[in-house]
Amino acid sequence: MNLALVAFLAYTGVLLAIGIWSYRIVEKVPIAKYEEEFYAAGRGLGGVVVALIIAGGMASAGTFIAGPGMCYAYGYSWVLINVTQTFLSLMLLAAVGIMVGLVARRVSVVTYLDIYRARYQSRAVVLVMATLVTLLLIPYMATQFVGAARVIVQMTGMGYFASLALGSGVVLVYCVLGGMRGASVATLLQGVVITVGTVLLFAGTYRAAGGFAGSTQVIAALDPKFLSPTMSGEFQWPFIFSVACLSGYFAAGSPHGMLGALSYKNTTALKRGIWIGSILVFIWTVLLCVAGVMGRAIIPNLEVADEIAPWLAMNVLPGPLAGIVLAGIVAGIQTTVAAMAIVITSSIARNVVRELGLELTPQQMKTLSRVTMTTCLVAAIALALTQPKLVQWIIFFSLGGIVTAAIAPVVIGLYWRRGNRWGALAAICCGMTLYVLAFTVLPEIGVFGMHPSFPCTVAAALVYVLVSLATPPPSEDVLRTFWGRPIKTQSAPKPSAT
Amino acid sequence: MQFEEDPRIKVARRGLVLAWTFFTVFLAAALVAAATFNNEPLLFGLPRWVALSCFIVPAVFVVALIPIVEKLIPDISLSDEEEEAS
Repeated sequence: MNLALVAFLAYTGVLLAIGIWSYRIVEKVPIAKYEEEFYAAGRGLGGVVVALIIAGGMASAGTFIAGPGMCYAYGYSWVLINVTQTFLSLMLLAAVGIMVGLVARRVSVVTYLDIYRARYQSRAVVLVMATLVTLLLIPYMATQFVGAARVIVQMTGMGYFASLALGSGVVLVYCVLGGMRGASVATLLQGVVITVGTVLLFAGTYRAAGGFAGSTQVIAALDPKFLSPTMSGEFQWPFIFSVACLSGYFAAGSPHGMLGALSYKNTTALKRGIWIGSILVFIWTVLLCVAGVMGRAIIPNLEVADEIAPWLAMNVLPGPLAGIVLAGIVAGIQTTVAAMAIVITSSIARNVVRELGLELTPQQMKTLSRVTMTTCLVAAIALALTQPKLVQWIIFFSLGGIVTAAIAPVVIGLYWRRGNRWGALAAICCGMTLYVLAFTVLPEIGVFGMHPSFPCTVAAALVYVLVSLATPPPSEDVLRTFWGRPIKTQSAPKPSAT
Repeated sequence: MQFEEDPRIKVARRGLVLAWTFFTVFLAAALVAAATFNNEPLLFGLPRWVALSCFIVPAVFVVALIPIVEKLIPDISLSDEEEEAS
């Protein structure tokens, strides 16, 4: 058994122990408080964990595998594109985190879709969003599993299916048993492993490539395009700007990132979450991406660009250190999957069940949460068996689709009192329709070479405003819940069947 | 409709303005640096635009973010009970 595999198995063993420990904690919580504990970790997470949940949740295989892969393929131009995601946690926690924190405590919001329920009081809005979240996040989760499996294959020599089982099975255990509590504790360990692994990989690559000066000379001799910010025109500035918006202004629309905003303890934790998250994402992104570019100076003709990070780990580091890098990359993927699994499960087991008027006992709800989470993860693992090749583009597609639908109802809806359920429904439908058209019959929607998520999101925001202005304003109940001064007996808005 | 606005909403709005303004300035600085500077070696031999737009500009903004966030976002109570008590 090689040393890399031993190190990775030790890491996996600790994660399993965390799953079992979290299960015991969650089981001790009174049944009435179960949902708050399972989906929001009792709303008591500190700054470091909140930072890691957002940073680890949002920085997915796109950062840990496809990031170095794209930088290997497109040189420093892709480092520039990726580094714009540095302020993900700021764009989420500062932009909407305080509003979400206030409303969450006022009307017991514990899931992403509870925010929609409270703001729009509309069954249609919640059901449409639940469908979109499920349809777009399960393939996204599948790509994460594919990435993890490929890394384990590369570094241990195990078969794809065994690697897939090893990388995904452990997430299934600690998420299903411990919910958000399990995911948050695991995230702490994973944050440390990711950071150590990233620094090791960069240091090993830097040494092997002859430093920045040596690698730059070799890369320039191979093709000067790799040193251009636009890959000598291959990426236009509008494209770079639109992708930067996806991980900047539009980050507030991502459901898996919203978990941090729902579970932080107080504003001190929120502020720490913002700057610690920014430091972590910056270190992870820039070191991994630059290692990807320098990798070309070491091995110029790697057949599959996405394999550069594991290849470097195996060839520039000794066995045990390579195992830590492997664990770090897989950990980065697992944090994303855990966050998504919780979002999808909460959407179905809590929100959809409520909207459909199904009467379940707390015990049945508890069972349903675990069954739903198992089903979602198994569905994603099943999709991962198909081994899709274009992982990065699937990630962009899923993330773009979600934020196109969500950004106007969430960001504008949280601050503009006049926004209403009709505006939200129209924005979600318009945004998604345009997005699907842009990827099928009308690619011209991506004007000036932009990623389609940008024009579609802008169009959806305009539709939200226009339709809201043309239809009746939201009820006084909603205004008081979201913006009113606290009153002694604040009740949750009554549901209606729009 | 007449109702009194929760004063904590102002803090939330300030957070939004802070985030969007900060990111806009960062993005502009990173993209302008990338478009302006050439490939002459700078930081340990990195192309000048890479050193500036991918290392120095983000690092400066990350460091600047700490005092900005700590100073401009005040600590507030999030639950209504604590707010009423204060």
